[in-house]
Amino acid sequence: MTRIVLYSVFNRLWHWCQAMLILLMALTGFEVRGTFHLLGYLRAVNLHNAFAVALLVLILFAIFWHVTSGEWRQYIPTRRFLGEMIAFYLTGIFQGAPHPIRKERTAKLNPLQRLAYLGFKILIIPVQVTTGAFYFFYPQLNNHGWPAGSLWLISTLHVLGAFGLLAFFVGHVYLTTTGHTPLANLKAMLVGYEDVEEEQH
Amino acid sequence: MLTPSRKPSLPWARRLLRVAVAVWAAVLPPLAAQTALPGHGAYTQQHTEHAGNVTADHSKYKVLQGPFKDGDGSAVTRACVSCHLKAAQQVMATKHWRWRPEAKGLEGYGKATHLVNNFCISTIGGNQEACSRCHAGYGMKDQNFDYNNPDNVDCLVCHDTTGDYEKIKGGYPNPAVPLADIAQKVGLPTNQNCGVCHFFGGGADATKHGDLDDTILKAPRAEDVHLSKEGAGMVCIDCHAGSSHDVGGPDYVVPADRREKPKFAGEVASRMSCTACHTEAPHQSYILNRHYRKVACQTCHIPSFARGGMASNLSWNWSSAGRLKDGKPYEEHDSRGFEAYNTIHGEMTWDVNVKPEYVWYNGNMTFLTLKDKLPGVRPVPINTILGSYGDPEAKIWPFKRHDGDQPYDPILNDFVAPYTAGPKGSGAYWGDYNWDVAIKMGMDKAGLPYSGQHGFVTTSMWWPITHMVAPKEQALACTECHAPKGRLATVKGFYLPGRDHGNPIDWFGWALVLLTCGGVSVHGIYRVIAGRSRRNS
Repeated sequence: MTRIVLYSVFNRLWHWCQAMLILLMALTGFEVRGTFHLLGYLRAVNLHNAFAVALLVLILFAIFWHVTSGEWRQYIPTRRFLGEMIAFYLTGIFQGAPHPIRKERTAKLNPLQRLAYLGFKILIIPVQVTTGAFYFFYPQLNNHGWPAGSLWLISTLHVLGAFGLLAFFVGHVYLTTTGHTPLANLKAMLVGYEDVEEEQH
Repeated sequence: MLTPSRKPSLPWARRLLRVAVAVWAAVLPPLAAQTALPGHGAYTQQHTEHAGNVTADHSKYKVLQGPFKDGDGSAVTRACVSCHLKAAQQVMATKHWRWRPEAKGLEGYGKATHLVNNFCISTIGGNQEACSRCHAGYGMKDQNFDYNNPDNVDCLVCHDTTGDYEKIKGGYPNPAVPLADIAQKVGLPTNQNCGVCHFFGGGADATKHGDLDDTILKAPRAEDVHLSKEGAGMVCIDCHAGSSHDVGGPDYVVPADRREKPKFAGEVASRMSCTACHTEAPHQSYILNRHYRKVACQTCHIPSFARGGMASNLSWNWSSAGRLKDGKPYEEHDSRGFEAYNTIHGEMTWDVNVKPEYVWYNGNMTFLTLKDKLPGVRPVPINTILGSYGDPEAKIWPFKRHDGDQPYDPILNDFVAPYTAGPKGSGAYWGDYNWDVAIKMGMDKAGLPYSGQHGFVTTSMWWPITHMVAPKEQALACTECHAPKGRLATVKGFYLPGRDHGNPIDWFGWALVLLTCGGVSVHGIYRVIAGRSRRNS
């Protein structure tokens, strides 16, 4: 058995805080949308805004961490083993085939994860942050000449982004079960390391 | 000791801090707005102090000792004007005297001209003598009233403080009124002075406006937080401030809080807007304050009108008037005691605690007059509220909607002004119940053409609701509007969170989420089955 350290303390703290905040924002956000009543409307609105500020602060720290630690390189997309990964999820996983990628400290993500998380970082999150900010400051934008109908567009993009995040969340949670045991990936994200049998590679 | 060329440390941090402060300032409510407003009875105390500071004692003036001839209001007016030299001239320039805002470019609006409503319809068809009980003058019996005679100005209707003053038809004082006594006790207009006309619009208490009736004089705080003695204890003219006898008020140019700004610090441009006292950001919450752009304060803070127990008239069908029982006129009342039928009026409906309807309103309305051709729509909108979501001056406002039907001329396609208020044998509708005669006489008196044929047309009218502001505890909860079937369900043209969901965007979103759930479920189940069969083999 080899112990591979994958996730630093900050990495894990960031991940779990972000997960919690996104879930809470989905909960409060869909109450504001009118999908259900749970916390009370004004409380939901205020919490949603407070969580947004908290998430923004967290993201600023995370960006700093990615840049200074060089972790950003882990998200550079690659075609190496991309075909193998797709094949693994479509067929290999049902036949008990070994995972095609071996995780390392400097390559903790498989090529599919790289693509998904990069999209998450540079597409979904920026869209949500931008449309959310536009939504919050809409009165001021309207003062500066943004047309009256733009709120509809802003809110629609924000809601579509929220559904995207929800779908991402479902897929993400499921895919944590595709490690060498169903709970291995979850455990790694909690404790930071993974124990891997040497002969696997 | 000087340090040579000291650079500011971390200039970017300062800039960041400045941006953060700017954002914070936009988010936080201005702290200055949190200063407390005068509460329980504060205004009552102020009014009492003010009364104590008055330097004149009208009971001591010789000219007011009388005796005045019974019902001779003009004699009192001459006495007033002997000291208040310009007072009558000032009154004669105002809406309370002129009843027509033609000086504002609104010819045809105003009770003295061709304005129509769907309550008593019109004054100029021979009804002036009855209607002039609410004219600030003496002797308005017909179209020939002399608007330039200062002796006709009624000082007492606004300045009586005894409550004993009363006007009869023609606008004259009731001969039983003790004129000298009242003249010696004049003062600033009270709520009763204003209310004696404005509470009784439409002919009876609470009938027309819905947010004005005489329960306000003894209102508990919950009915009207401003006018109640348990509340601020304000009087009408605290907000309807005026100068030169011109009392502040809409006069057909209605101020939907016209976003008036003081021209210099301390100047009160108009006190007839909530913001004049409460500022544009009176809430603790930025989210609530930002509603100010598009939602009138009244919308949330007047949850319903007619809250004092007096019912307001909601519909009036003139077409059903004139029924007789055993050859005699009669009245019927509904289970709550409200007038359901009256031979002289027709069928009516009334209610208390009425939820307003909500409309985009930029402070302007247009009115159909006796001279306008009727549009094709039914009910005919007697007034049209202007404004839309895209209009930066417009806000969502509460309104009382009043429905009814009334006589019109189907040949000339315009409204008619029937002669209604007169005794039996006069030809007036309330005497003889004959529309043909009453309309013909009315149109003759109004000097307007009439084809000789009449029909009935359904009409609607909209009355802005702005009084009877409730205490803040009674303000609407968010979900009164932010809900699919809330109060704003029919106010369209914009995205309203909480109301506008369940549309194709949500269906698409939920489909995406469900497909993902389905996909991972199939994948997961197949994994389990495949794993089991692998172990078995």
